[in-house]
Amino acid sequence: QATATDQLVGFGLVAFSLVLFVYYTLWIIVLPFMDSDHGIHQFFLPREYAVIIPVAAGLLLVLFIGVFIMFVTWKSRKHAKKSD
Amino acid sequence: MTKLAQWLCGLALLGSAWAALALAPPGLQPPGPLRQALLPLPVYLLVAFGCYSLATVGYRLATFNDCEEAAAELQEQIRAARADLRRRGLRLGAE
Repeated sequence: QATATDQLVGFGLVAFSLVLFVYYTLWIIVLPFMDSDHGIHQFFLPREYAVIIPVAAGLLLVLFIGVFIMFVTWKSRKHAKKSD
Repeated sequence: MTKLAQWLCGLALLGSAWAALALAPPGLQPPGPLRQALLPLPVYLLVAFGCYSLATVGYRLATFNDCEEAAAELQEQIRAARADLRRRGLRLGAE
């Protein structure tokens, strides 16, 4: 059974992803069709960051996962050697 | 055709369509705002997929549930299997 914390975290994830999706859709799809002097532009970074930030975040994520897997395998190998 | 081949085919199709539009000679390119929306489209699709995955994980986490009926059914099947094996002369541990 999902506890209150589980529900909080789960719906938090859902809300976060929804907000991210809406914001990014506005940024990528809607913004080019707005006039460049429209007030909406003050809420968004310059356009090149729309690509740089996700790519950097993805690289960081892959790096993190790689380090994590390396750490876990290294630890388990050490453990296995000790038990021999 | 396997599922993987299907997905690779679809991705290749979309990717080549995108590349054709993005790398078209200046005369054939889509007009200004459309082109600006088109160029980061692969990254946009990736982000959208990530959002969908995150939302799915969050939703399943929030609505995670005990499967009491399935547990009872499984116990019933284990009992039946034990009885069957015992009938065939296999000695099992205490019930």
